[in-house]
Amino acid sequence: MIEITNLKASVDEKEILKGLNLSIGKGEVHAIMGPNGSGKSTLSYALSGKEGYNISGEIKFNKKNLLELNTEERAQEGVFLALQYPTEIPGVFTKNFLRTSLNSIRKANGKSELNAIEFLKILKEKSTELKINDEMLARPLNVGFSGGEKKRNEILQMSLLEPSFIIMDETDSGLDIDALKIVSNGVNTLRDPDRSFLIITHYQRLLNYIKPDFVHVLSDGKIVKTGDWKLALDLEKEGYEQFVN
Amino acid sequence: MENYENIKVNFDSFIQSLESDADDIEFRKKSFNHFLTNGFPKAKDEQWKYSPLTKDLNKFLSVEFSKSAEQNFPEELKENYDHYPIVFIDGNLQLDNVQENGLKIVKNEKFLKSVKKEGTNPVLNFTNAFADEGYLIEVEPNTVISKPIVVYNFYSNNFSSSFVSAKNFILINESSEITIFEKNIYNSDQEYLITSNTEVFLAKNSKLKKYNVNEENKHSTIFNFTKANLDEGSELEHFTFSKNTNSCRDETIVNLNGKNSFASVSGIQSLLDSNNHEIKLNINHNEEFTESSQFIKSALHDSSTAAFQGKIFVDSQAQKTDGYQLSRALLLSDKARFFSKPELEIYADDVKCSHGSSSGSIDDESIFYLRSRGINEKDAKEMMIKGFLAEVIDKLKDDRFKKIFFTKLGHDSENV
Repeated sequence: MIEITNLKASVDEKEILKGLNLSIGKGEVHAIMGPNGSGKSTLSYALSGKEGYNISGEIKFNKKNLLELNTEERAQEGVFLALQYPTEIPGVFTKNFLRTSLNSIRKANGKSELNAIEFLKILKEKSTELKINDEMLARPLNVGFSGGEKKRNEILQMSLLEPSFIIMDETDSGLDIDALKIVSNGVNTLRDPDRSFLIITHYQRLLNYIKPDFVHVLSDGKIVKTGDWKLALDLEKEGYEQFVN
Repeated sequence: MENYENIKVNFDSFIQSLESDADDIEFRKKSFNHFLTNGFPKAKDEQWKYSPLTKDLNKFLSVEFSKSAEQNFPEELKENYDHYPIVFIDGNLQLDNVQENGLKIVKNEKFLKSVKKEGTNPVLNFTNAFADEGYLIEVEPNTVISKPIVVYNFYSNNFSSSFVSAKNFILINESSEITIFEKNIYNSDQEYLITSNTEVFLAKNSKLKKYNVNEENKHSTIFNFTKANLDEGSELEHFTFSKNTNSCRDETIVNLNGKNSFASVSGIQSLLDSNNHEIKLNINHNEEFTESSQFIKSALHDSSTAAFQGKIFVDSQAQKTDGYQLSRALLLSDKARFFSKPELEIYADDVKCSHGSSSGSIDDESIFYLRSRGINEKDAKEMMIKGFLAEVIDKLKDDRFKKIFFTKLGHDSENV
């Protein structure tokens, strides 16, 4: 489903990804672990099309080359990046943002836009599952949200937009155990034979709750080892030292 | 020096046509002579340095009064909720009979209740010399007026004069409350000058919410002056929504004269093309335990220019005061300009005053976040700009008008 070939990314002449290859099949959950500075966040930005990077190589997604699409077109194709630090946007109200986002994606895919009543019905259903109350939805986007609330809001977006490829960038950072459980449950209910995940994380902890099919070690801009979920346990025990030059 | 001979002739014939008492004539003459001393303001004057009016007022070295025949105010321009209307058609005041206990809306005959003191502001002196229309709103003590008053300033297609000037008076007596919404509609394509001087008195524990909308003023040049005096425990919420306004100066002076009085003066301005709009605020803390807030946001497209001069003055006896000022501008083009001049003048030693001013472009991280959720770049920018401005509206205390202003902005809040 996703075929990444010889992906290189640099910022201001500094090469961060140095020829990364990765293949993710339909319905698979892959985890990428790696030390600080190995290029984890850059990979997530390269996949979602953030500007400011020099990128070469190929990312095939549903037979299209993602590198030829801009950020919103990738989202409309079904790529979703859950951010490590979701941006606070004062004045943009959460509910309005969610509806605009959902309708933009529906429109791009030739579906009819939802009216307020239809939208609120779906929102109610999805937000209740994630213990997100109306008061939170009435606030400006992520403004005054706790770390846990911000991440739950990201999961809510996933659940509304129903993307086919989800990248999670250090979603576990800054979460206490309770929040981690809510977030993991949210993700687990979204697991689906037609939906793939790439979970980027520094710690093995999240993988206790979301069990990956494959674990990759990213070091110095390349994948240096691939294994099953047990690899995460080894890493937790022995550290990344062995993979760092 | 500009030639004011024509204006002198205009003034003389205006005074002769006026049916007024000696006091009033005298005051007008004094105001006019005061105006003549220095004439229209110049850019070298610190108080007018950033004002679009320094160049635009010279278009009005001769002013023409001709009352237009327009009588009808288009029904479709009326607000669609229950309210008391005050209508100015091409500068002529038309009043309905108001049947509500404790509320008086009348013509501001001869401006008898106004403070008759000429000042140093040349355009205000000019206004005081010429103003020949105006409303007077008075609320009796212990009266809460639940319906808002809507003032329509309508300039019709038949408008043929080059100058309109009004002097209004708002008096809210002890423990009374009212909301006044002032709306300007510019249908005329003429070049004309509009000046207004509104005086507000808030007695002990009274409350006034005064909201203004100024949109698309075309070829008119505007000077709006408001002075509010607040007694003990009174509250003023003053907000102005400006969109595509050009050649305009909004000047507001607030005197916090009584303990525990509070004033919030806020505004948003969204400008296009070569629009030029200036906001000037002076908040004077003259008594202890007074509180004020100034909050101005500007979204500047194309080669538009906005200026904000905001001052907090704290008298030596005004201890324990709290003065806040914040101005933010979004520069949406390389050619847009924003001038900001915050001023603090503090003579008391136990006060809390803060001010901040910033200008910049739209935050890239926020745009990326919105785009990564499938929203195209243009819509994402639009959402950001509206969101930026909406923050000022969101702080208003009146839910009805909050909604009205959100809708005006094209911004949905809790309504999706």
